[in-house]
Amino acid sequence: MEKIEILRIESLSRDPLVVEGYLFKGTNPNAPKIAIVGAMEGESILPLYCASTLVDFFKNKLEKEKLKGDVLIIPSINHYALNISKRFWPLDNTDINMMFPGYELGETTQRIAKKVFDALNGYDYGVILERRPDPATCLPYIKLYKSGYEDLLAAKKFGFKLIHHRTMKSIDTVTLQYNWQLWGTKAFSIMCPSDNQVDKKVASQINQAIIRFMDKSKILNYHIFNGYESTVMDRNTISVVKSAKSGIFISKELPGNYVSKDQVIGEIVHSLEGNVIHQFLAPCNGMVTCFYSNSLIFEHAVAFRIAKIG
Amino acid sequence: MKTSEIFTSNLPVGEKLSVKRTRFEPKSVDNKKMKRISIVSGIHGDELEGQLVIYLLADWLNKNNDKLKGIVDIYPAVNSLGVDTITRGFPLYEVDLNRTFPGSANEFLPGQVVYALANDVKGSDIAIDIHSSNIFLREIPQIRINKEYSKSTLALAKELNCDFIWIHDAVTVLEATFSHTMNSMGTKTLVVEMGVGMRLTKEYGNQLLIGILNLMKKEGIIECEEEFTVRTPFSSEIGDVFYLNAPKSGLFVPALDHCAIIKEGDKIGDIVDPLTGTIYSTLKAPNDGILFTLREYPVVYEGSLIARIFGEKSGKN
Repeated sequence: MEKIEILRIESLSRDPLVVEGYLFKGTNPNAPKIAIVGAMEGESILPLYCASTLVDFFKNKLEKEKLKGDVLIIPSINHYALNISKRFWPLDNTDINMMFPGYELGETTQRIAKKVFDALNGYDYGVILERRPDPATCLPYIKLYKSGYEDLLAAKKFGFKLIHHRTMKSIDTVTLQYNWQLWGTKAFSIMCPSDNQVDKKVASQINQAIIRFMDKSKILNYHIFNGYESTVMDRNTISVVKSAKSGIFISKELPGNYVSKDQVIGEIVHSLEGNVIHQFLAPCNGMVTCFYSNSLIFEHAVAFRIAKIG
Repeated sequence: MKTSEIFTSNLPVGEKLSVKRTRFEPKSVDNKKMKRISIVSGIHGDELEGQLVIYLLADWLNKNNDKLKGIVDIYPAVNSLGVDTITRGFPLYEVDLNRTFPGSANEFLPGQVVYALANDVKGSDIAIDIHSSNIFLREIPQIRINKEYSKSTLALAKELNCDFIWIHDAVTVLEATFSHTMNSMGTKTLVVEMGVGMRLTKEYGNQLLIGILNLMKKEGIIECEEEFTVRTPFSSEIGDVFYLNAPKSGLFVPALDHCAIIKEGDKIGDIVDPLTGTIYSTLKAPNDGILFTLREYPVVYEGSLIARIFGEKSGKN
């Protein structure tokens, strides 16, 4: 294993920010190469945990001859934000994942993005462990933009239950996934719940999926159990359930649970008087893919997303 | 004058989020179709210069209602929760509302707010979106125009009594802004940047008020004897914008005043280390020109924007 310094930025008052990558060289130079990016934001605890436990896997648990292609893992980019529980770059609150492909003469986070992007360039496959942008607990799934460069077949090798094949917005053109694809890497985002606690079961599902993908793509020779035959979803196959009231939100179902039309899936309690003021009924038969993870909910907020079945 | 809520949502604990608009219209209305102008501010919660301009405008309209011949809609605090909590983005969701347009009724809450705004402003002939730079940079009053819409908006921009018109290239992320959305819906929309975040600059507020009144008079939205004399802005059509970014992290100590006319090689400031008394870097002007953006917040990292200079094209950019 080689530890690579990807970038170093000095600070007026803090220790320098030093971003490192862990490079594991494979035994076959012709095998595909993969890079994995962990926490790009602060508060991305699960991406950080997943990426760091993958480092442990390659460093300490995998027999060296089983690794065929090169693997680069960058567990964290924004240590400054993680260390003080901020989400974005602490000084100016900019999102590094809106700065790609980066610019070496630009603003600080553009420079960070540029150095990270240079280190990631040239890999055959790329995995980005992303935190959901909204406060939501979800099943882990693949987010893949309809960019024209995406590889939907390859995305299925992870074996997640769901692939969200998403229409692009203009703002997505500055993300790592899009730019990585534009530069020839087959990139995938694994969406993680936005909780600040490590759920080891979910982390294990994510890491198994990444290892499964690497095995199926001949980067690794390490057979693990098969995953799901992924269902590809888009906006039309997801039902959005919004909150009719504001108050204290209690979900009665978990992501991954199957629900029937008109089943009570959650409730809102009056925050000052304690009575139930709203019950959420499932609008269709389906599977809960995510729910609002904050216990205080705004009126009109998206409370559940349900993948329709039947 | 009538104040209405264009978007409301009950908050979890005994409070309501609302985005408000006040409409001014003539007391007597003839059948002729009236022109409508919408003035928007506070899309970023930490930007308050627009609130002053809108206050001054509302005050003028209250005192001069007889001169009003069209409709004036004002929206001083689009991100009302952010304005009240000194938060640039939409609280809780941490998203920049000006990267969320056009939104939709089915999106997350910030998307619903911007959708409501865009739908309410829709149909206006002109819209002005007033920003105050951010807390890091101080800006002279300037209009930012996307090249894609400059044909229809440049003439209006010249009426607004600003010092600088910056026509910038179309960048994909800007498609998610209020101005792009409104321009694409047929409302000629201008973006004003001036002053600094979290503060008011009274002279700039008065300067832009004159510009807005001048534009409204030219457009027939007000009719009055009063002459509004406006300055002629310099424009990026005839020059270049030079960026100066921090080569080192440290504390930026400016050597010049904002809005200074400078010569190539003039010292703009130092980046220093207070702990050791060291000067890390001395920043000098790369070109002759006017210092139209200057760093206000002194802590910098490598790459932080220190200044922008508008000068003659020199091939250095």
